[in-house]
Amino acid sequence: MKILLAEDDIEMAEFVARGLDELGHNVVRVCSGVDALHLATTEPFDLALFDRMIPEMDGLAVLRRLRAAKIETPVLLLTALGRIDDRVEGLEAGADDYLVKPFAFSELAARINALARRAPINAPVTRLECGSLSMDLLRREVRRDGEVIILQPREFRLLQELLRNAERAVTRTMLLERVWGFHFDPQTNIVETHISRMRAKLNEGGKRDLIETIRGVGYRMRQCEEA
Amino acid sequence: MKKLRSSAAYRIAFAYSAAIAIGIALLGTIIFWAMHIAFTRQLDAMINDEAQTLLLEYRDEGGELATAIAQREHIGQQGAKLFYAVFEPNGRRALGSLNTTMPQLGMHDIAFVDPSKGLDQARGLAIDLPDHRRLLVAADREWVEQIDRTVLVTFAAGFIAVIGLGIGGALILGGYLRRRLSAIGNAAEAIIGGDIRRRMPTSGRDDEFDRLAMVLNTMLEEIERLLENLRQVSSDVAHDLRSPLTRLRNALEESTLGGVTAAAREQVIAGAIVRVDGILSLFAAILRISEVESGEIRRLFKPVELSALITDLAESYAPAIRETGRSLTWSVEPGLTVKGDRELIAQAVTNLLENAQRHTRPGTDIHISLAYSAKWVRIAVADKGPGVAPADRDRITRRFIRLESSRARAGHGLGLNLVSAIVRLHRGHLGFADNAPGLVAEIELPRNP
Repeated sequence: MKILLAEDDIEMAEFVARGLDELGHNVVRVCSGVDALHLATTEPFDLALFDRMIPEMDGLAVLRRLRAAKIETPVLLLTALGRIDDRVEGLEAGADDYLVKPFAFSELAARINALARRAPINAPVTRLECGSLSMDLLRREVRRDGEVIILQPREFRLLQELLRNAERAVTRTMLLERVWGFHFDPQTNIVETHISRMRAKLNEGGKRDLIETIRGVGYRMRQCEEA
Repeated sequence: MKKLRSSAAYRIAFAYSAAIAIGIALLGTIIFWAMHIAFTRQLDAMINDEAQTLLLEYRDEGGELATAIAQREHIGQQGAKLFYAVFEPNGRRALGSLNTTMPQLGMHDIAFVDPSKGLDQARGLAIDLPDHRRLLVAADREWVEQIDRTVLVTFAAGFIAVIGLGIGGALILGGYLRRRLSAIGNAAEAIIGGDIRRRMPTSGRDDEFDRLAMVLNTMLEEIERLLENLRQVSSDVAHDLRSPLTRLRNALEESTLGGVTAAAREQVIAGAIVRVDGILSLFAAILRISEVESGEIRRLFKPVELSALITDLAESYAPAIRETGRSLTWSVEPGLTVKGDRELIAQAVTNLLENAQRHTRPGTDIHISLAYSAKWVRIAVADKGPGVAPADRDRITRRFIRLESSRARAGHGLGLNLVSAIVRLHRGHLGFADNAPGLVAEIELPRNP
């Protein structure tokens, strides 16, 4: 993917760029808002990462200009401000996701993957599948090998989030944000316990575990096409 | 003198007494003129009456004018003394004792020679008699002048007294105002000078100054509380950071020494990341609390379906709590809504639930309930654990407070402080009570904020 990174903190920019390079992305780095706006409006990017506080024009202003110009490149805002109203402001300005510094690189990578996957969706998805597992969003029904599995609403939402990002890591914080709407870190392992209950239901009868736990990062739907 | 002029208190007092003095002077002038005119008219009327009477007597009774005048001059009158004179057409005084020259017709002020006092002023009416002589009846102005003088002297004395009282009053009032104000000023200066425990003095009379002083004192108390809080927090943060940072440093240093295997080093690094994350989450918690305490989030407040939220939280937490060997039950009154921030309320309730499970033994029952009264909705998290001693219940919402009994356990001691800040942001109350046994934590939020 071609990714635009607007970040004035050299160390931070190098950390992010190096990590994304290793994942095989092509990163273009700029240090100011004006440069970011110029590049984003003249070249096609698959994704843009904007720091909120960059010189000349802040990330939020760049984002607003882009959206005003109908440029719909997915934008992930990076910020040192973890304030509730800043997050609200960022999302209202048209950001697709919002990540507070400091963050683990795995968190950023997972979110970038999720954004990249989300981009081409135009028609609403009504059905998600992964190997023998299928989810019908209209009938709110989950089947494995044709057999209906009864899930609680939360478990359904969890599985939906994992299936939508099948074969890509989904972090614990992403699940907390998207399934529960929490942007804080509860000390209790509600994500873990829900995953383990859902896993037990999905794997009933000793079937292959479809959900992979990635230590210290989150979860991933295993390869859907069974080898 | 400069002190007097630069003082608003004195200026106000002086201006006030000057206004009263001017009022008195104005009133005196008006009364003086009104009386002067009224008495002059009365004098004129008396002279006129007298002249008419004399004329009638002379004309109707054919009496001798000389006798009549002599008689009248001899008897004298009550009140103003009257004088008479009759002039020949050639101007010579023929009758009467009034020593003056022949006047014009009509009412005038005239001058005459008083045998006892010399030249004097009088009011006189001159009319022509049928035999072409001219009759002059005059009254001494002395009477009116005397009244004028009395009025003038009375008012002058009053005026002087008012000025005197005014100056005296202004000095006393001004001094009083200055004293009261400078007491407040002195206290403020002492506070600026560093004595933040100093308070504005009050006189106990509950007047305007006392009320101002009390408002200022309330403000000072709040400022002192915030300052104290700030001081406490900075020293606590420094203290709380020192030990994890020291341990981190030591672990990292050890891993650089020779003889450490690559696997061990990796373990140290992984441990270091966990520690740093802990420190970062401490900072995140401190920042979140200060954000909540600033109250700015209130502008983002929206109606929150509290019943749905509490049910949701209970359902989400029940499995996790069950996994720790405790149980979570709930009873939620349906359909309750408050105005607030959904996520912050969720965080507050979450913190209470986490506290309930962190500070109780496995096997403990935890119950969360949502109820309401006329003005409030009440979220209560009750456990059957060891509880908190009544003396400690107020302390546990303070920052970094960890009771000795729980010091060994994980946590940064900010959880309840955040809950308390969130509840205050929503203009509610946070309370702790005895659940006999155990603790019940209650959040009350206004139903119609």
